[in-house]
Amino acid sequence: MSDILTVLEQREGVVKRVSHEALAAARALADELGCEVHALVIGPPDTDVTGLGQYGADKVMTSLDEELTLYQASRYAQIAADQAMGGAYTTVILGATSLGKDLGPRIAARLGCPLTSDVTSISGVDGIVVTRPVFAGKAIYRLKITGSPSVITVRPNAVAPVAASNAGVVEEVSASDDVKPAVARTLEVRAPDNAALDVAEAAIVVAGGRGLKEAEHFKLVEGLAQALGGAVGASRAVVDAGWRPHSEQVGQTGKTVSPNLYIALGISGAIQHLAGMRTAKVIVAINKDPDAPIFKVADYGIVGDVFEVVPRLTEAIVKAREG
Amino acid sequence: MSQSSLVPADYQARLPQNQLILGEPLEEERIDVDVLFVGAGPAGLAGAIQLAKLVKEDNESGNGVGEISIGVLEKAGALGEHSLSGAVLNPRPFRELFPDVSDTDLPFRTRVEKEAIYLLSPTRYRRIPTPPTMRNHGNYVASICEVVRWLGERAEEVGVDIFAGFPAGALRVEGDRVVGIRTVASGLERDGSPGSSYMPATDIAAKVTALAEGSRGLLAQSYMEWQGVASENPQIYALGVKELWETKHPLDRVIHTMGWPLPRTAFGGSFMYPLEPNLVALGLVVGLDYRDANLEVHELTQRMKLHPLFKPYLEGGELVEWGAKTIPEGGYHSIPQRRHGDGVVILGDSAGLVDVPSLKGIHYAMQSGMYAARAIFAALKNDDVTAKQLSAYDELLNDSYTVHDLYRTRNMRPAFKSGFYTGAAKAGLMTLTGGRFPGRRIDMEEDARAPRATTECEELTYDGELTFSKVDAVFKSGNVTRDTIPSHLIPGEKVGAELASFYSHMCPAAVYEEVDGQLRVNAPNCVDCKATDVLGPRWTPREGGSGPVYKRM
Amino acid sequence: MKIAVCIKRVPDTETRIKIAADGKSIDESGVKFVLNPFDEYAVEEALKLKEQSNGEVVAICLGPEAAQETLRTALAMGVDRGILLKAERLPRDPLVVARALAAELEQGGYDLALFGKLAVDDYDQAVGTIVAELLALPSVSAVTRLEITDGHATAQREVEGAVELVEFSLPAVVTAEKGLNEPRYPALRGIMLAKKKPLDIKEVELDEGGIEVLELTLPPDRKSGRIVGEGAAAVPELVEALRNEAKVF
Repeated sequence: MSDILTVLEQREGVVKRVSHEALAAARALADELGCEVHALVIGPPDTDVTGLGQYGADKVMTSLDEELTLYQASRYAQIAADQAMGGAYTTVILGATSLGKDLGPRIAARLGCPLTSDVTSISGVDGIVVTRPVFAGKAIYRLKITGSPSVITVRPNAVAPVAASNAGVVEEVSASDDVKPAVARTLEVRAPDNAALDVAEAAIVVAGGRGLKEAEHFKLVEGLAQALGGAVGASRAVVDAGWRPHSEQVGQTGKTVSPNLYIALGISGAIQHLAGMRTAKVIVAINKDPDAPIFKVADYGIVGDVFEVVPRLTEAIVKAREG
Repeated sequence: MSQSSLVPADYQARLPQNQLILGEPLEEERIDVDVLFVGAGPAGLAGAIQLAKLVKEDNESGNGVGEISIGVLEKAGALGEHSLSGAVLNPRPFRELFPDVSDTDLPFRTRVEKEAIYLLSPTRYRRIPTPPTMRNHGNYVASICEVVRWLGERAEEVGVDIFAGFPAGALRVEGDRVVGIRTVASGLERDGSPGSSYMPATDIAAKVTALAEGSRGLLAQSYMEWQGVASENPQIYALGVKELWETKHPLDRVIHTMGWPLPRTAFGGSFMYPLEPNLVALGLVVGLDYRDANLEVHELTQRMKLHPLFKPYLEGGELVEWGAKTIPEGGYHSIPQRRHGDGVVILGDSAGLVDVPSLKGIHYAMQSGMYAARAIFAALKNDDVTAKQLSAYDELLNDSYTVHDLYRTRNMRPAFKSGFYTGAAKAGLMTLTGGRFPGRRIDMEEDARAPRATTECEELTYDGELTFSKVDAVFKSGNVTRDTIPSHLIPGEKVGAELASFYSHMCPAAVYEEVDGQLRVNAPNCVDCKATDVLGPRWTPREGGSGPVYKRM
Repeated sequence: MKIAVCIKRVPDTETRIKIAADGKSIDESGVKFVLNPFDEYAVEEALKLKEQSNGEVVAICLGPEAAQETLRTALAMGVDRGILLKAERLPRDPLVVARALAAELEQGGYDLALFGKLAVDDYDQAVGTIVAELLALPSVSAVTRLEITDGHATAQREVEGAVELVEFSLPAVVTAEKGLNEPRYPALRGIMLAKKKPLDIKEVELDEGGIEVLELTLPPDRKSGRIVGEGAAAVPELVEALRNEAKVF
């Protein structure tokens, strides 16, 4: 059986967690198929490639060069496609990040093979079968990959990294001699222009509603958001009342958010609001009305007065983060 | 009842006629069509299709009228998205307009085979005989959204240009003649200043403008006020709240009810129709001359679903859509004395062509559009679009079954002004006498003239399973109106706590709230039902595509 | 400049998804189809570039007969002409789709081909980039800013918590991310004109590619949560649960 190639992603020479997840997905699939997992690391010369065996790699190939510090799409694609072809791999797996979603299609095009993006599970029991959400998570495909080779990108946070003890032998691979010059060149990577964390982009959102009683009390929301390193959101009621700007509004007619953690403070949970945040991974609700509809979608709820609960929660989180 | 009683009309603003009737010359950057139908409902679309067919036949016969451009303007983002009706419809005009299409290919759901009428008490129901006017044998249950989309496709097939997402905001006039309309600007910020997606209003010039705006049409009202077109009785309205449910328990019949949950001082009833055995439309319709200032049609609709007649069907099911709309209920004596003028005709619900006793208006609306099309065609042939030429529309309509039907039942709805039971007795006599009882016209006043008093009532707690708050309901209407839109509603000058509270109860979409004695207006919630225009702040159109997004209402 | 915009007809994002009887696709009855929202950014960018430098904008859509309507929307926004590559059903394999589009683009002599970053039905985010590779053109995906002068371009693309600045020369392929611009609404005049603009229809044959749909299902209901307690006393338990159960920090 031919092996699986995992293309890892690094930033500033450190392999990202999402690549550990990709390795875990590859490892599980390899164990079902009875083959090896090879990792390919493209990056700057000082990239740390030690210990990847512990994440499931049997072999680690490196292509490290000063010129490869930033993501250079054509160069990366050529190196990865050369390796994929040279090693006759059955599947190439990447994390479905900004880089993975750009590099994956390039590899698939060069190999002339099928690509499945953003998968949440892979199985090798009966051919390669993946699941992946479509229509903004409103439906899920189960797909059988009948072509070979194939390229798969794995959605971040869908697969947990494994603790393994594979060899992870490092081997340097040279880029082929006929490397085409990079036709598009990445000049720099910098911080985004807009420093304020947008509620639609944030990994953590703390949102307040009418239960806060007046605009002044939004300090509680801001305090908790700051403690968590998250963004502030607001319900339509408080935006309409002029307490908060429209840019913070979460809901059907405001922004749709999908953070890892959503904390709703004094928000009753009208369907309009729920439509904008129900895809959050973990939802916490604090509201004094035990019948508030928000509790129906919340993973964790506290029935209580936001004015009592929130200061304590903020305090506890500051402590937890320090510890 | 509280001591004070409130007459809504005393607090209503007038129509802003200076913004609705524009006499200055048309813009150079205008669009020209020969005939413009304002509103893509059954009336406007049937009219446009009929006209296109007449033009085509005429041109094929040689020496024809030549190319005639026909436009249909619609405020909803796509056809059908603002259309709401029960609906059990009479297929007659479809057969006339589409003689080659068999009934089974028309956009209907199920043929009515079984029907029942019940009188409800708070906990019970009793089947009563079906009055002759309400017999539906041979009629079809349909979704008006689907009907409108289907008519739109037929219209495009015959070369009609449909412009969805463009509301008409004003009439363009020259002297007494209507020469077109002006659309509504879009992309305005809350303060009325142009935003980044601003698009100015456009003039559309037309030889004939057909106002088919539906119930409480703004430009139709404005035209009639401007030209002093009266009716014997003022138009009166009912508000209907409708829901669409996917159910676990099949429904095999068309159901109508009377009695509970309405107080005796209110006129109305409920309906439940199967579109499919497990897809059910239900709703409650209440005359806007109700007397209790705290009456809420939305809340009564929610209560109704807990009644033993409805609950068994709905339990375990899912609310998939919600909507609201007014219905012109005045009948024969409320039809405007003329429905035509220089360069203009008024169709369908905008002309009050609804028969309350049979609960029908769609086929009359289509028929009116088709008569208007004939008159407009003749006018274009003669190259004369004056009122004199277009009066042929009124003649056709007056001689038709549409006006005859309405004449026969002319006093039924007015009879119920004196309360439910006397009304029912009188309606029975009217049926027996073929409409002749009581031998004279019953006078009516505008809904907003009916005094309101406050009664105390227990509030319903919405459970989110069978019953839903107004805010949740608005979500189910598909309304995604931009939040930063300027308010399109014009309240009167002095709105105190009592009046604000009355508005908040009246509006089914939580547009109005009474907060600390003040009126708060959540304009984006509005689903364009027009109840507010009848009893409260006046309604004007917003940028195209605002409001509800009905799919199968 | 001659610009191609590749667009797709997709179900409106507000669509309530129902699974069709075959268990492998959505039930399309009553579904409203629209121009893919990300493609609107691509169309807008093409129109802005045309306004700066003249030339022609051509919209290309691979899809069923009904996708003519989608093309008309683009024409109403201001695109000059449309090409429908007519195929009743699109296979799941993006390579097959990309090949059909690349074949059409290759003949057109375009300076720039714009795509939406992804289509809101399949969420693949692949076709534009694959097309570029098949045509051996430089490409940048998910672009939030684009500047072109004299055949030389710089694009900004958002990556996790940062932006990348990429330079390239034309001809090239760019896929548009939300934020690139604010798409215009079709004006009434645009809709009138659109009806008279040329729209070519070409039949295309698509093979199945290397991906087979086994099933399409609705996601499982969210598992019900729990009330950890009442008042401030419940805070320690909540923090504990967030840390050890939910593992959010």
